[in-house]
Amino acid sequence: MAVNRIACLLLFALALAVPLACADDKPVIPPDKFVYCTVCHGVQLKGNPLIEAPRLSGMDEWYVERQLLAFKNGWRGTHANDLVGMEMQPMAAILTDEDITQAARYVSSVASEPPPATIDGDVQRGQSLYATCLACHGNNGGGVEALGAPALTGLNDWYLLRQTRNFKDGTRGSHEDDIRGAQMRAAAQVLADDEAIRDVVAYINTLQNR
Amino acid sequence: MTQPISRRHFLNLVGAAGGSSAILQTGLALGLLPETGPLALADVQPIGRASRRILILGAGVSGLAVAYELERKGYDCTIIEASKRIGGRILTLRSGDEVDEMGYRQVCEFDDKPNLYFNAGAARLPGHHLHVLHYCRELRVPLETFVNDNRNAYTQDDKAFDGRPVRVREYATDARGFMAELLHKAVDRNAFEMPLSEDDRERLLAFATTYGDLTADGRYRGSERAGYKSGGFVSHGEIKEPLDFTEILKSDFWRYRMHFSEGGDQAMPVMQPVGGMDNIVRAFVKNIRSPILTNAQVQAIQLRNDGVEVVYNHRGKQHKVSGDYCFNCIPTHLLSGIYNNFSKEYAATLATLERGHLFKIGLQMKERFWENDNIYGGISWTSQPIEQIWYPTHGIHSEKGVMLGAYTFREEHGMMFERMNPRERIAAAVAQGERIHPGYGSYVEAGVSVPWARMNHMMGCNTRWNDELQGSKFRLLQDPDGRHYMMGDQISYHSGWQEGAYASAHHAMGDMDRRVQAELAAERATG
Repeated sequence: MAVNRIACLLLFALALAVPLACADDKPVIPPDKFVYCTVCHGVQLKGNPLIEAPRLSGMDEWYVERQLLAFKNGWRGTHANDLVGMEMQPMAAILTDEDITQAARYVSSVASEPPPATIDGDVQRGQSLYATCLACHGNNGGGVEALGAPALTGLNDWYLLRQTRNFKDGTRGSHEDDIRGAQMRAAAQVLADDEAIRDVVAYINTLQNR
Repeated sequence: MTQPISRRHFLNLVGAAGGSSAILQTGLALGLLPETGPLALADVQPIGRASRRILILGAGVSGLAVAYELERKGYDCTIIEASKRIGGRILTLRSGDEVDEMGYRQVCEFDDKPNLYFNAGAARLPGHHLHVLHYCRELRVPLETFVNDNRNAYTQDDKAFDGRPVRVREYATDARGFMAELLHKAVDRNAFEMPLSEDDRERLLAFATTYGDLTADGRYRGSERAGYKSGGFVSHGEIKEPLDFTEILKSDFWRYRMHFSEGGDQAMPVMQPVGGMDNIVRAFVKNIRSPILTNAQVQAIQLRNDGVEVVYNHRGKQHKVSGDYCFNCIPTHLLSGIYNNFSKEYAATLATLERGHLFKIGLQMKERFWENDNIYGGISWTSQPIEQIWYPTHGIHSEKGVMLGAYTFREEHGMMFERMNPRERIAAAVAQGERIHPGYGSYVEAGVSVPWARMNHMMGCNTRWNDELQGSKFRLLQDPDGRHYMMGDQISYHSGWQEGAYASAHHAMGDMDRRVQAELAAERATG
C-alpha cells in the first residue's frame, strides 16, 4: 500500500496532464466547513509558500488534532514573535472539539505530491546531527506516535526551518501547558546555530518516505 | 456637385472602415475629441457563427468586464468564483452584511439606511480613470463627487505640537509661509548657483510673496489662509499666530500626507457611485447573461495547445471544464496553492509577488459631530496606526454617518490590526480617534473591520510589485502563457485601483481578439 501510494504520488507529480486524478489517491473534496483551509494551505493542502501556509496533506491524524488543540488553547500562535502562527490561531479558536476531530480526519485523508526541496545544507553534517532527532522522530523521520513525535518528512522544508528556529528561540514551546513543545524546545538547543538547523533540514529532505 | 464633407460625417466614415479606435485617433488629430488620455478599450470583433469558449476565473470587476464584453461579441463565457460573493475587492458593507474574514466572521451592524454604507475596498474614482468611468456611464451608475481633501480636517502627530491635532489649513499655510520666506531670503542674497536676471529676481520675489502670503518685506507673519482666530464677518478678522516652524518640521505630516491630495490619482475632484461602490458590480451582474458560478473553487489550471482546462469544486463535486481561452484574476499569491502547468518562468514570477496588508475600519456614528467642527468630507491624518479617518461626503446634515475609522498604508500597521480580534480593532481605532476628536468614542454605534490579508478567498491587497520586479517581469505576466491570461489590477501599474483591473482586462481581450481573428481567417482559408 505504501509503495503503491508513493508510486501514485510520483505519477501525480509527473503526469500533470491528469491533475487530481490518481488511481489510488483520488482528490479529496473538502467538507464545506473546511474549504477555507485550502484557501491558504492550497489545493489538496499542498502548501503555499506565499501565504507561509505549510503543506498538510497526509499528516498523521493524531498530530493534526494535537496541533489544532495547541492553537485553540493558545499554546501556539500567541507568542509575540509568532506572527505566522497568529494568522492561524483564530481559525483554530473557532473549532469545536468535534470540528477538530473532523478536521484532523480530513487533513490526514488528503494526498499531494511531496513538497519540493528549497533549502541547501550540508547533508552529511545534517545526518550526524540528526542522530539526536531519530531517538524520537525515528530513523526515517516518519515519526513515532507513542512518543508524541510527529513525522518530519512530507513537510515543506521552509516550514521545518521556521519551526526549528521557533523552538530554539522559544517562540514555540514556551507555554507552560505545552509539555510536548517544551520537550522539543529543549531538544532544539542541540542545534548550535542556524547553519546546523539548515543542515538537518537538508538531511530530512533526503528522507522521502511518505 | 460634390457636397463638402463635414468633419463629423468624415469621422463616421472612418468609424465604419476602421472601428472606434480609428475614430478616436482621427478625432484627436482633427481636434474634435478632448485629449484626456486614450481610452484603450479592446475593439473585440464579433465572431459571428464561430464558437469560442471562455473561462473566466474570479468574479472581480476584471472578470465581470471580460464576460460583459465578450458575450456581446458571441463568445460563450463562464465565470468561476471561489467565494459566495461577486465583486472581489469592490465591497460595500451595509446593515446585515457578512464580513467573511478567516476565523472572525463579522456581521455589519449599521442601521438599515441608504446612506449608511462603507466602501471597504475600492472607494475613489479619479476623473482620468477612463475605463471605470466608461462603464459607469454605459451601465448608468450615477456618480457624485467624493471629497478627498479638506483643509478643515486635522493632522495629528505624536511627535509634534505635544500630540495635539492641528487643522490641515493651519499646518499647510504656515509650512508654505515659512518655506516662501526662506526662498525670499535666498533670492535677496542671490544664493542661487544660476545667475538670475533682474527680471527673474523680481518675478521670483513676487512668486515667493504670493505663494507664502508674505509681508511686503518678505516675512511670514501668518495668513488668513490659515483661518481666523476671531472675527471676520461682523467684526475685524484676527488672523492666527503662525505655528512653531520646528514643530511643523517635527511632524511627519509633510513627508507625504500634506501632498497626498496632489497625487495623480488622489487630486480633487474624485468621485464615488451614489449609494456605494458595489453599484458598479450590481450593474455588471444585471447586464451579464453568462453564468457566474459562486462557491466554485478552482483546483487546477492546465494549459493545452488548443485551450485551457480548469478543474473546480462546486457543491461537493469536482468538475472539469475546457475553454479556448482563459482569463484569470485569481490573486497571484493564491495561484501557488493551485495546481497548474504554467511555464517555469511564468510560475516562478507569480511566486515572487507578495501580498499586501491593506486594512480598513468603518464606524457608524450616531451624530455627524465633524460637521459641527466645520468638516464636510475629506481626510484627517495621524501618525497613529489608524493613519487616517475619512468623513463621509454623502448624507451631509443627516442624522448619522459612517466614517472610515482606519486605513493603513504601512504594512506594519495593517499587520498589527490583523493580529487583533474585531472587537480589539474597533477599541484601538476609537482610542486613536479620540486623539483627533475628543469624545469620538461616545458617538460610535457600530464598527466593521476589513483586513484584506485575512479575507476569505482573497488573503491580500494589493499586489506588492516593486520597481525592479515590474521592470523585469511585468511583461511576462501581462503576456499570455499559452491561451491563459492573467489579469486584474494585479497585472497593471495601478495595483489596488479598479481602473487597473479594467485596463488589464482590455489589454488581455485585445490580444486574444487578434489571435481569434487570425484563427478564424485561417479556418476560412482552409474551410
